Amino acid sequence: MFSTTLFSWVIRFACVLFIFNSNSLYAIEAVSNKAQSRGMDIGLTALFSAGGSSVDNLTLSDLQAGGHDPARNGFTVQNVELSIAATIDSYFDAQSNFIFLINAEGETVVELEEAFLTTRQLAAGLQLKAGQYFTEFGRQNSLHPHSWSFADQPVILSRLLGGDGLRSQGLRLSWLMPTDWFSELLIGAQNAKGETAQSFLNAAGEDVAGYILIDRRARNSGDLLYSARWLNAADISDTISMNVGVSGLWGPNASDTESDTTIIGSDFYIKWQAINSQRGYPFVAWHSEIVQREYEALNQTNPAHEILVDSGYFSQISWGFKPGWVAGLRIEEARSEGDNSTDPMRDNRQRLSTNITWYLSEYSKLRLQYNQDKTEHLADETAHSIWLQLEFNMGSHAAHSF
Amino acid sequence: MKFIYRIVFCSVMFVVSPTHANAVLLIESTTQDLAAIASAVGGQYVKSSSLTMGTRDPHFAVAKPSMIRRVHKADLLLLVGADLEIGWLPLLLKSARNPQVQPGNPGYLDLSEAVTLTGVSTVGITRDMGDVHEKGNPHYWLDPRNGIKIANAIAKQLSKLAPEQAEVFQSNAVAFADVLNAKFIEWKQALRHLKNKPVITYHSSLDYLAAAFEFNIVAQVEPKPGIAPSAASLSRLIDKIEKNKISLLIMEPYYERRSSAYLQQQTGIMPVIIPQSVGAQPGIENYADLFDAIIKELKIGSQ
Repeated sequence: MFSTTLFSWVIRFACVLFIFNSNSLYAIEAVSNKAQSRGMDIGLTALFSAGGSSVDNLTLSDLQAGGHDPARNGFTVQNVELSIAATIDSYFDAQSNFIFLINAEGETVVELEEAFLTTRQLAAGLQLKAGQYFTEFGRQNSLHPHSWSFADQPVILSRLLGGDGLRSQGLRLSWLMPTDWFSELLIGAQNAKGETAQSFLNAAGEDVAGYILIDRRARNSGDLLYSARWLNAADISDTISMNVGVSGLWGPNASDTESDTTIIGSDFYIKWQAINSQRGYPFVAWHSEIVQREYEALNQTNPAHEILVDSGYFSQISWGFKPGWVAGLRIEEARSEGDNSTDPMRDNRQRLSTNITWYLSEYSKLRLQYNQDKTEHLADETAHSIWLQLEFNMGSHAAHSF
Repeated sequence: MKFIYRIVFCSVMFVVSPTHANAVLLIESTTQDLAAIASAVGGQYVKSSSLTMGTRDPHFAVAKPSMIRRVHKADLLLLVGADLEIGWLPLLLKSARNPQVQPGNPGYLDLSEAVTLTGVSTVGITRDMGDVHEKGNPHYWLDPRNGIKIANAIAKQLSKLAPEQAEVFQSNAVAFADVLNAKFIEWKQALRHLKNKPVITYHSSLDYLAAAFEFNIVAQVEPKPGIAPSAASLSRLIDKIEKNKISLLIMEPYYERRSSAYLQQQTGIMPVIIPQSVGAQPGIENYADLFDAIIKELKIGSQ
């Protein structure tokens, strides 16, 4: 009931803003002009890997918990992504991403990863996004696998946001604030249900820390997943730019009918690029995120309440030392309160990764990566893995943001 | 509870928009060359700045948040066009939330439409050909005669945005053209010994400069646009340099220097580094400065 009221209000406000925004008069002119945006941009990127680890496939699938991680001794189809983007009319831009991959059983899986529209001409620096999309939590979560700096997803994000990253259906409002520097505030509401909302309602029957999840359904607006993000950015000099963000997620979880999850995070990105760079090289970029989750676990058979606290960080440096060549180093840690030394998704873990990437052109790349894993559930064993990754992309390809 | 949500939405959504009702028009350009010409034409009635720096290759900029904020506030966006900015400008326009500077609106001016482009593709292009621009070669600002066309187009657009200053913009554009026309005669005189001489360039970016000063570009260091030279391609180039007796290699400052040093050592060809944009070197503040600097380098290098 409330959701429909809320939605109708949003629509009403949007209409008012369209009407009072004098700039919308130009829109008619734009349509009659030979607008280059009439066509659709269609692109396909494909990401494959080959490699192996000192541990067997079963153990490896726990270590490489990301849905697009290379997770098998041998070959992995990490991600084949078909993207279609277009300007719909003078009011909306839209984008849709379809994922194809081949799972461990050899079956082809198709996912509707994203399908959303964004407004083109709301006033006051506002923009509305609606549909199915990656939640803007931190910097890494909304990046697509082909733009990752490493072959796999950071451990703490696989644990807290899920193997496929956090994405769901909903509505998000963003406000470019009238400050002297870049400052953007994003507030969103999304469905909390489904495998891509792992720390929230998730799917019935899945387990989190030994709690088997019930089939909890949203009853009112209080059962949605709410998100907020505040991103600030500044150019420190002609060669150095920096982003600093804080994000939060609040929503119900399905360990019981009244339990909630809170996730907070902070992200930092700084990049140096030479004053006379060729093709964007040389550069040095440093990207770090720290995330913490409080998962209120309740269980009818065990009246004792429990707050599960999980946290972790990753910090990675990419050094583009000559055109087309990037070397990377990443350190990560993930942990939880209490003794969870046998749970691969909650034990204390450290991972060190190093890689080198060769971009043969803008449209293809080769990457060699080494991972060293020290994790409690493997007792005294250190896991070593090597991955060779190949990517190509064809058709048009959306520009990457800073 | 409902009420609180409404209050939150109202307060967020009804924040007063920063208006564009300034007396001074804010112009953002994708390169320092366009920014400099816009500044000359707009004079005191505009505030003109560039999104990228003249020291870098404008193909490879990134849509930084600071640029999003600047395009958000701009009254007029000037671009080189012909897909030069294809890697970053579309994203910037999507993120900027400024309808006025979207394609088709008076705040959007693609200057490739003001000049005649060379190298427009009539056959199908594949990526095997390297970074070929289907719409034509976008480095047209390196012909000073195109600078005059750019200035006229900007004056026309500014007159639409601020009709009360139309005469000022018009006379500024005329003054700009007068200076360039006079200088162009001097520059051509200084480079008359290069007329019809064969030269090589690093990238296919100096075709318009060659057309203006009437020298012939017979090859590039890059085997295909945007593709780094290999040992095999350099060896083919050495044959060509020797066969055609080419004595000049012209390139922009941001390309690697190993290939040119190798070619110089093998054939004696003279590499000349020229600034390709306003701001590429200290002291190049305006469009005429750019050609003063280019002509000086070419003159020294070809003596």
